[in-house]
Amino acid sequence: MTRKSLSILMTAMLSISVFMTACSSKSEEKQSEETQGSKTTETTQTEQADTPKSEEPFPITIMLPLNIAETPPDDIKKEVEKLTNTKLTYQFFPADTYEEKLTATFATGSLPQVTYLKNQATFMSMKEAIKDGQFWEIGPLLSEFPNLNKLKPEILNNTKVDGKLYSLYIGRPLARQGIIYRKDWADALGLKAPETTEDLYNMMKAFTEGDPDKNGKNDTIGLADRNDLVYGAFKTIASWFGTPNNWGDKDGQLLPEFMFPQYIESMDYMKKIRNEKLMNQDFLATSKTDQTSLFTSGKAGVYIGSMQDVDSLNKDLIKNVPTAVVDTAALIKGPEGQQSTWAIPGYNNVVLFPKSAVKDEAELKKILAYFDKMMTPEVANVMYWGIEGVHYSVVDGKAKVSDDKEKVEREVKGYKDSVIGEPETNGMYDPLNTLPARIHADSELIPANEKIAIADPTAALDSATFAEKGAQLQEIMTDATYKYMYGQIDQAGFEKAIENWKSRGGQAMIDEYNVSNK
Amino acid sequence: MDQVVEMPEMKPMPRRDRALAKRIWRNKWLYIMISPGVLYFLIFKYFPMFGLIIAFEDYKPYPGKGITGSEWVGLKHFHRLFTEPDFLNILGNTLTLFALNLVFFFPIPILLSLMLNEVRLSVFKRTFQTLVYLPHFMSWVIIVSISFVMLTMDGGIINSLLEYFGFNKINFLLSPDWFRPVYILQVIWREAGWGTIIYLAAIASIDPQLYEAARMDGAGRLRQMWHVTLPSIRSVIVVLLILKIGDVLELGFEHVYLLLNSMNRDVAEIIDTYVYTAGLRQGQFSYSAAIGLFKSVIGLVLVLFANRLAKRMGEEGIY
Repeated sequence: MTRKSLSILMTAMLSISVFMTACSSKSEEKQSEETQGSKTTETTQTEQADTPKSEEPFPITIMLPLNIAETPPDDIKKEVEKLTNTKLTYQFFPADTYEEKLTATFATGSLPQVTYLKNQATFMSMKEAIKDGQFWEIGPLLSEFPNLNKLKPEILNNTKVDGKLYSLYIGRPLARQGIIYRKDWADALGLKAPETTEDLYNMMKAFTEGDPDKNGKNDTIGLADRNDLVYGAFKTIASWFGTPNNWGDKDGQLLPEFMFPQYIESMDYMKKIRNEKLMNQDFLATSKTDQTSLFTSGKAGVYIGSMQDVDSLNKDLIKNVPTAVVDTAALIKGPEGQQSTWAIPGYNNVVLFPKSAVKDEAELKKILAYFDKMMTPEVANVMYWGIEGVHYSVVDGKAKVSDDKEKVEREVKGYKDSVIGEPETNGMYDPLNTLPARIHADSELIPANEKIAIADPTAALDSATFAEKGAQLQEIMTDATYKYMYGQIDQAGFEKAIENWKSRGGQAMIDEYNVSNK
Repeated sequence: MDQVVEMPEMKPMPRRDRALAKRIWRNKWLYIMISPGVLYFLIFKYFPMFGLIIAFEDYKPYPGKGITGSEWVGLKHFHRLFTEPDFLNILGNTLTLFALNLVFFFPIPILLSLMLNEVRLSVFKRTFQTLVYLPHFMSWVIIVSISFVMLTMDGGIINSLLEYFGFNKINFLLSPDWFRPVYILQVIWREAGWGTIIYLAAIASIDPQLYEAARMDGAGRLRQMWHVTLPSIRSVIVVLLILKIGDVLELGFEHVYLLLNSMNRDVAEIIDTYVYTAGLRQGQFSYSAAIGLFKSVIGLVLVLFANRLAKRMGEEGIY
């Protein structure tokens, strides 16, 4: 019996640890993107934060996940303390095990005044505790802080719980999804940048059959995809076909994306690409590493996902194929000529203020005042880019990271991930890009994408069933989608899966979301 | 949880207790030496068992709730588990993989160690032994990745060979028919060599006189193996078998989870992977604990059963 009780514990721990592994690959993805953090609109210059020297520095304890191996040195912290007149205590915990740490600290009631979560998923799992009244509501106080007030209302809205705001967010561009493709191949075959889903199909076909690398061998494929319906190719392609983002409105009722005909069309499209061998056949079993290596080894010519991945893809690709040229593309028109794409909720992480540590509203206001100062360019730049002249330099009004990337990573990264808002709202520098494909993506495609992006209408809605078994239900439809694309079930089989989804709790979810939407 | 640790009350000791105390005092060093082990079991094995209460609660991990303050819901989570439409399928998959493990994996280390035992050249024997148990130190992630590279249809070695010899490509990674063979082969590859260590040790402890006597009676190598080696290590085999059965549902979450995908879920979903998606990913601590408890009960029943069987066959068993 002792062995077995241990085994329960072990199973739980093992499962959690694997969950962490699964997550860390995603967070790495995010990290690589956030190091370049993009934005396009004009930087709003905010007035110098006034730091009354007469007052005693206000002590704040902060708990946050650390995405690197070592705790960063104090240089940046000291600079921030000077700028904000605070005495900061940072409690860094490794991101890989952050959720466990969070749960354990929470259960013992010892969360510090400022508690960062890890990502959207941890935020979802914390919602119940938020509803239970464990954290301070900050919505009514925001208007007192001129800089915090600049945070984007639509994103704040996405982070509300039961219509109330409890958190500040760490922003991310809304719509980075698009195509990264081999421009040298396209040029060699006389192809232009794809503008419609039809063009995209033709490009993949030509990349597969037209011997784009001119080596006389039939050894190339069009698309490299991976085992991820959302951040892989499928969701982005589906959004070009006009599929709603997770949930959509049909005759005044919210319904899940897979009950829309555009979803079926998108599956047919992927199925055709796979059947004609224009992509990796085993994409369902392909990890992100294997997917990227298909592209960077010069075997595949199209990558669909975050366009900001282009820097790292290009770096490895030109090692293998020195003549390779990449470009980015987006704004793909669907079969009816319409343009649309999907948007993430606009944040990567949030900050909460536990009632167990923040005694009263006066203390809460002092903490919020610190975050208000963080939203000024002076403080945001120090935390995000480091110390000018040491970690970065300013070129053409943009931040150029110092050549000693490891030093920057070691000393800045820990603080970088905790900067709230985004460059448009906190006024920090844009990154200086050098790769033309990246500049193309950041300055043209992503802003244009944001204009046509569809948000998830359920982001701020509530469903008890979703909280209890959303992941399990999603699995039914994920399986059915793959089986359809692999030709194992037909449309009737897919309809049957939807019925199964409904009966297992899906119908309850539909009802709950629609009630919550009223 | 304070009420659990009860201090013994101090009262005048009867004679028998005094004798006991005296014995303990006499052997105090032994008791001191054993105490770290006992404490280890108490703290890390017995104490956490009280946490199983959460399987009967709606456990919420925050102040004011916790293990003692959460709402009591009785058998709600067990009810959910047993009424889950996939429950029988998942249980069946779990037991099938366990049976395959027992039938195909368990005898391999025995065969391997018998074979190694017959090797004359000790350099070869040692090198070979090291080579076969090395994979044990690789993580499943690596083993599954290596298999992926070999088995993928996009230029994997095995499929390329099949194609070269004129056969059709086989979708090893996605086909439900191939999940079990791939799983069991990977288990054998990783664990077989490691498993031989105990058997080799048991074989080494066999009295050489037995072999001499057998040779005098004219037994060949095969006869010696059958009549001397195997009977001598029989009790070791039985103990390991019982322990293995106790691990019935420890099929390696990581391993199965890495092989699992949308196409082979019907045969590959086991209790461990189900706990992960339905319980842990959703933060359903109580539900996860309930499933874990159910699993442990099955394990316990099987161990008791196997142990009795072993005793009936005249073996020692594990207790």
